[in-house]
Amino acid sequence: MWQAISGDALHIRFWNDEFVVYNSLSGDTHLLGASAAHILLKLQHTASDVATLAASLASLMQAEMDDEFLSQTEQLLAGLGKLALIEHS
Amino acid sequence: MNVSALTHSELGFRLGKAGIFIQTGSFITHLQTSIPGVAEGIGLLYADYPLLEQADFADFHVSLAPPRNLRRWFKPQVLFFFDGHPPFKPLPLDQAFPMFEWGLNWCVSSQANRYLIIHAAVVEKGGHAAILPAPPGSGKSTLCAALVNRGWRLLSDELALVRVSDGKIVPLPRPVSLKNESIDIIQQYEPDAVLSRKVSDTMKGTVAHMKVPAESIARAAETCRAAWVIFPKYQAGAAARLEALPQARAFMRVADNAFNYSLLGVKGFEAMAGLIDASLCYDFTYSVLDEAIETFAVLKPPAI
Repeated sequence: MWQAISGDALHIRFWNDEFVVYNSLSGDTHLLGASAAHILLKLQHTASDVATLAASLASLMQAEMDDEFLSQTEQLLAGLGKLALIEHS
Repeated sequence: MNVSALTHSELGFRLGKAGIFIQTGSFITHLQTSIPGVAEGIGLLYADYPLLEQADFADFHVSLAPPRNLRRWFKPQVLFFFDGHPPFKPLPLDQAFPMFEWGLNWCVSSQANRYLIIHAAVVEKGGHAAILPAPPGSGKSTLCAALVNRGWRLLSDELALVRVSDGKIVPLPRPVSLKNESIDIIQQYEPDAVLSRKVSDTMKGTVAHMKVPAESIARAAETCRAAWVIFPKYQAGAAARLEALPQARAFMRVADNAFNYSLLGVKGFEAMAGLIDASLCYDFTYSVLDEAIETFAVLKPPAI
């Protein structure tokens, strides 16, 4: 299971389909695409697992939910984890 | 009363004694120095700035003086002092006036944290400000100098000040810093432009400063809103070309050019987001100044 980092640490603004995220715990600012931002916003709302997040993302992108899509979602989660925007719950 | 009210000898005398208090934008600087080159630069480039006679407050107390060592006799140097302490190593005495300008930039960029401070030129027309962030060598100051000689008001050549409390751009019109080939380019582009004498072999090459039009100084208390964020890039032989830049990418690039974005934390993020919200963002490539002026003349402000 994954969750967004705690409380009010993340500040998010978007323009068209690109998102800028400020992490007040690290002081870092990140530019995210729509997919990564969708996952982050979901995890801000509630903790979730890879399969659930992949299904939500596939629905948003009208993509087929297969092993490859699941793997890509895992990579997105790993990337957000490396940026310290999400963590294991 | 402006600096021009003093004769050259009165200015030199006052600078050498108690110093003078000059108003530049929203800042008051107390400057004391006996170095003739600084007095020459102040007399030439700061003639139209308000001189405060009864000031009991200054944002920055600065002075320039030779270091107290033996070098004063064979290779004289100058030190810049802020509140009595020298934050930088000495430079050759001939560079005293440029050092004053660089030192004052440092004072603002390191102290004035009620503003989000971006390394950018800012010009205004019709109440709309164009912010031109750029690294050295991009032609930012050359373009800025050309624009202010063709009807744009100078808000700043180096430091865009975005007031954190309301997002407005606060003017800081100070002499425009020109380097190397840009000095002759601007002198030829606008023969009436007043430039300080060239100083060679500085850390930036040969430098000179251009006097700010009096109207920009007279309107220094007049704030405005950002309408455009434009990243200029001089490219030899290139036709003037304005390309739309996605706002989120512009955000990241402006943040890279800000002095205190990280220091301000969430307030810096919000101020930057407000600036980007209000602005159309572009990359701008140019080589011919007249083409650049024409491009800027037809910029349309964002729809409200």
